[in-house]
Amino acid sequence: MTLAHRVLVVDDDNEIRETMVEILNDEGYEAVGASDGYEALEQLRDPADRWCLVLLDLMMPNMDGRTFRAEQLQDPTIAPIPVVIVSAMNDVAATAEELKVAAHMTKPIPLRELIQVVRQFCAGN
Amino acid sequence: MTLQLVIDAVSDAVVVVDSPGTIEMSNACAARLYGYPDRQLQGKPIRVLFPDDDPAARPIASLLGDARDRGCVETQIWQRRADATRFLTNLVVRSIPEGEGRGARYVLVTRDLTEQRRASDERSQEDTRFRTLVENARDYAIFMLDTTGHVASWNEGAQRIKGYSAREIIGQHFSKFYMVEDSRTGKCERELETAMSEGRFEEEGWRLRKDGTRFWANVVIAPLRDDRGVHIGFSKITRDLTERRAAELDRLSLTRTQEALRLRDEFLSVASHELRTPLVALQLQLESLDMQAATLQPKQASKISRARRNATRLADLITTLLDVSRIAEGRLTLNMREVDLGDLVREVVDRLQESAAAAKNIVVVSGESMLLAVCDPLRIGQVLSNLLANAFKYAAGTPVDVRLGRAGDVAVMTVEDRGPGISEAQLERIFDRFERAASMRNYPGMGLGLYVAREIVVAHGGSTRAHNREGGGTTVEIRLPVVSTLKERTP
Repeated sequence: MTLAHRVLVVDDDNEIRETMVEILNDEGYEAVGASDGYEALEQLRDPADRWCLVLLDLMMPNMDGRTFRAEQLQDPTIAPIPVVIVSAMNDVAATAEELKVAAHMTKPIPLRELIQVVRQFCAGN
Repeated sequence: MTLQLVIDAVSDAVVVVDSPGTIEMSNACAARLYGYPDRQLQGKPIRVLFPDDDPAARPIASLLGDARDRGCVETQIWQRRADATRFLTNLVVRSIPEGEGRGARYVLVTRDLTEQRRASDERSQEDTRFRTLVENARDYAIFMLDTTGHVASWNEGAQRIKGYSAREIIGQHFSKFYMVEDSRTGKCERELETAMSEGRFEEEGWRLRKDGTRFWANVVIAPLRDDRGVHIGFSKITRDLTERRAAELDRLSLTRTQEALRLRDEFLSVASHELRTPLVALQLQLESLDMQAATLQPKQASKISRARRNATRLADLITTLLDVSRIAEGRLTLNMREVDLGDLVREVVDRLQESAAAAKNIVVVSGESMLLAVCDPLRIGQVLSNLLANAFKYAAGTPVDVRLGRAGDVAVMTVEDRGPGISEAQLERIFDRFERAASMRNYPGMGLGLYVAREIVVAHGGSTRAHNREGGGTTVEIRLPVVSTLKERTP
């Protein structure tokens, strides 16, 4: 097992978040959920070196995806962790470019595409 | 001399003339009035005091004759000053019979009417002007009621608005102008009472015309009093606001409609977002199960596959609703890039093979194989798939032709089916929201596919057109601005 092997699923919708976590776990990844930007930052920092990928929703209460990404880039310990935007917004391409994320997907996400992206960044068990 | 002193004390102009008409004596007031130096009038013929160029005026000699016959005459007459200017006067001529060794003489007493005339002229002119103003006012019914509410005067506006001529209505009670239920419940009397007690009554309400139609009126009633304060009646001014009221109601209803549309679009946006969220989770779960199909019983696998297809249909419907709400709110954004439309067409057709097979359609692609255009490939793909979905729906079991061509700087993409076609009247409207050529009963759907397609094409600066194909079926044509063909770019 490599050191960085965890996927953080950041989404305010419980069902979507838990489904993604469950599927990724089924696929052999260690996936954990966070329901907003604050929770996500907290998770990533404890400790930082275990994460291989963040799947980030944009529209969330408390701290949205955009703010999370800005905070993440401010913190050198977690800044290098790759982020993939998973959003229901259709014009997400421009936002993805602006936030300098690794990739972006539009909901509804084809499962194969999701797994492919995660495989690209993380080594499974 | 005593006589002179006496007449000097008189404030009217006094002139005494002898029988042939020569001025014997005049007073100070006369000198002032006629503009002669003191005592200069004596010895002048009386006719110098009267204009001689007015053929309509009676000559003074004739007046003197009358005075001699009757003793005294009084008349209004124009007289002349030393500077030849005229002024209107009241003239009294009294004859003094012969006697005491003297011939007959006449005393002329003149009062200047200039000031009086000016004041009266002004008043009458003002009266005339005012009467003309009131009589001719067309947009206002301005009339008078007597103290008991009977019409006492009428104007042009009143006739125009209410339809009665003055002859028909003067003397009638003003309750004739009120809706029957109003006049029955004593509304007219209450209005007059209010006008009396508060000095004014005003309201907007329905009133009746002569022909029985009603109009929306602004009515002002005020009591009228004479110079001594005695109540002599009421003034009533009525305006016809029917058109203004109709315009206001129209505006109000337009505002309400716009608000309702805004709320609908807002609801559409919120609802489709909310519907989509659980569907995303559901689709993921179904896909996950579908991926494990190999490990399941065939029957279970087939049920999961069916569930998944229906979840996808639901997702597509919701996506369409979201698109419609984006279009309605002007939030349709395009991610433009250079795309080979040939590739795009092939991709979409490949993707829809399953649906085509289900509807027993064969899709035939022809025309340009490479054609570059700057567009949002996802959106243009959506346009083509909406057109194909329509063809599959209405022309099931027949071949569908997809052609990509070029006309100058325009890419022309056509989807041609051999379905029932569309009536000429409906061809114009099929790209409108919620429009559909076929009846709701026979073909399901929201009637939004072509609308979304057109909006996407228009957002690209292109156009859409539909026409009936010879021999049956419909051709929908999409025109998009093009950059160049790949062939031309290759050296």
